[in-house]
Amino acid sequence: MTRFKNIILWIIMLFLFIGMFLPVWWMLLGTFSESFTPRSFWQNIVNFDFTLKYVHNVFVSADFSRALINSIFVAICVSIGNIIFCLMTGYAFARRRFMFKKWLFISVIMVLMVPVHIILIPLFLEIKFFGMLDTYWALILPFLVNPLGIFLVAQYIREIPPDLEEAARIDGASDFKILFRIVAPLCKPVLAVMTVMIFMTTWNAFLLPFILTNSAEMRTLPVAIGNIVGRQIEYQTHFAASTLATIPIVIVFLFFQRRIVSGIITGALKQ
Amino acid sequence: MKSNGLHQRSTTYIFISPWVLTLLVFWLFPLVYSLYLSFTDYSLGNQALNFRGLSNYINLFSDTKFLASLKNTLIFVIGTIPFTTVFALLLALLVNRKIRFATFFRSAYFLPSLVALVVMALVFTSLYQKGGYLEFLFSMTGLPTPERGFLLTESTALYSIMFMDVWIASGYYMLIFLAGLKSIPDELYEAAELDGASRVQQFFKITLPALRPTALYIILINTIKSFQVFIEIYIMSNDSGGPNNATTTIVYYIYDIGLRGVFDMGMASAAAYILFLMILIVAVIQLKLFGYGKATYE
Repeated sequence: MTRFKNIILWIIMLFLFIGMFLPVWWMLLGTFSESFTPRSFWQNIVNFDFTLKYVHNVFVSADFSRALINSIFVAICVSIGNIIFCLMTGYAFARRRFMFKKWLFISVIMVLMVPVHIILIPLFLEIKFFGMLDTYWALILPFLVNPLGIFLVAQYIREIPPDLEEAARIDGASDFKILFRIVAPLCKPVLAVMTVMIFMTTWNAFLLPFILTNSAEMRTLPVAIGNIVGRQIEYQTHFAASTLATIPIVIVFLFFQRRIVSGIITGALKQ
Repeated sequence: MKSNGLHQRSTTYIFISPWVLTLLVFWLFPLVYSLYLSFTDYSLGNQALNFRGLSNYINLFSDTKFLASLKNTLIFVIGTIPFTTVFALLLALLVNRKIRFATFFRSAYFLPSLVALVVMALVFTSLYQKGGYLEFLFSMTGLPTPERGFLLTESTALYSIMFMDVWIASGYYMLIFLAGLKSIPDELYEAAELDGASRVQQFFKITLPALRPTALYIILINTIKSFQVFIEIYIMSNDSGGPNNATTTIVYYIYDIGLRGVFDMGMASAAAYILFLMILIVAVIQLKLFGYGKATYE
């Protein structure tokens, strides 16, 4: 009886899986099948006709290949910046006393909840005023310290006993040495969670890169993919670019599944 | 202060400075500046800046496009969240069962929510297009199909986008429900079992009440997220806000009038502040109910 029930459950789960992955299948079919038609799912599978033409198109297209490089560069810079700065800030919140500490921590929480959408206009003007519109600075500088990162790191360091740091201080180590040589290695798990989350957010980001850049050379991959509006585009090349944009997410997910899950849940449910 | 390891040292200000700078330059200043702009007629074309008091706010509420965007955003929020929440809960209950492959399906349901929204929007544009797969499915089952495709027909455009949103967001909230489910102690169910409670009774008397805070939390963060809907609208309505403004949302409106064309930044800032107030209300409710991080800043 339970066996029978399990089979029913598996069938339901399998159907849901096929259904929820429908957009993903669609994207893959559009990327790799020469005879792709938007009309029928079934026909696409039956007449599947493997080709790498569209993937090739992405790499030879000046816009897409540049966008791919931009995306990689920006995601790496933002990730590294966050590792350093969130460690510094999170450490200060966990171990130090300073003026306005309570208010600054509240500001972290508020920024975590309040979306960037409401400051689009002034942010655009500010970046323009700094002369950073349409440069890498615009894509990196505002995102170097992520409030979620600070929050996660501060929570984590609070749980570590300060004995090692005290001992190092007595031995005459400087504060920076203590932070980067002693605290940082202890924080590896939380830094991994944070980096994975921030990498994915940066990699997928659309709105701000879309607004803060305007030349084809400065587009990130999502912005280049989204650049379909009002143009006759070759859908399948955009699908291929989409597949390329999704691969790092899938890889990161497969490798860091536990950490992503725990990151989302800590970010979400630590009350 | 040795006991709790808290120190007052000079390097503290170096450590904290990245956040203070980001906060001041990229958050507080823009917030204040935006408020100021919302009282002016500033635009990129007309550099002269005149103070106009509340007239931007008043004009917004007689602007049919803004009113449409407000209405569409509310429809989007009210129309997607119940479905996303219920669907996410059902998925969580399904994969929470202790049977083989459940963890595989958990990951599989969650993965699509990590894919870039712009990618999903592109794929769904193809599925929804005139002569696309959805139309094929509709005509196969004998349902009427809109003449100009789902996304370019006024009566179906917004709902098509909302449908996609439910589809891809559910997996994400499933995960949060799952965390809530795991935190219910097994003893509760064992005790209920002993008392002869049926599975259905257990679900309604134990599981659902225990999940109330989780559900509330999901609804609140999803509300904040849905207030900002933009990418789907931009891509799927072909940067037009839909036929007869059918899919214009608040963020799309801000972008549309403030960041291109006439660059009417005063008006756009006023719209942004109205959105800010809406989000702030939800955020404050969230903080009041959950005391997020209350004990942690001391």
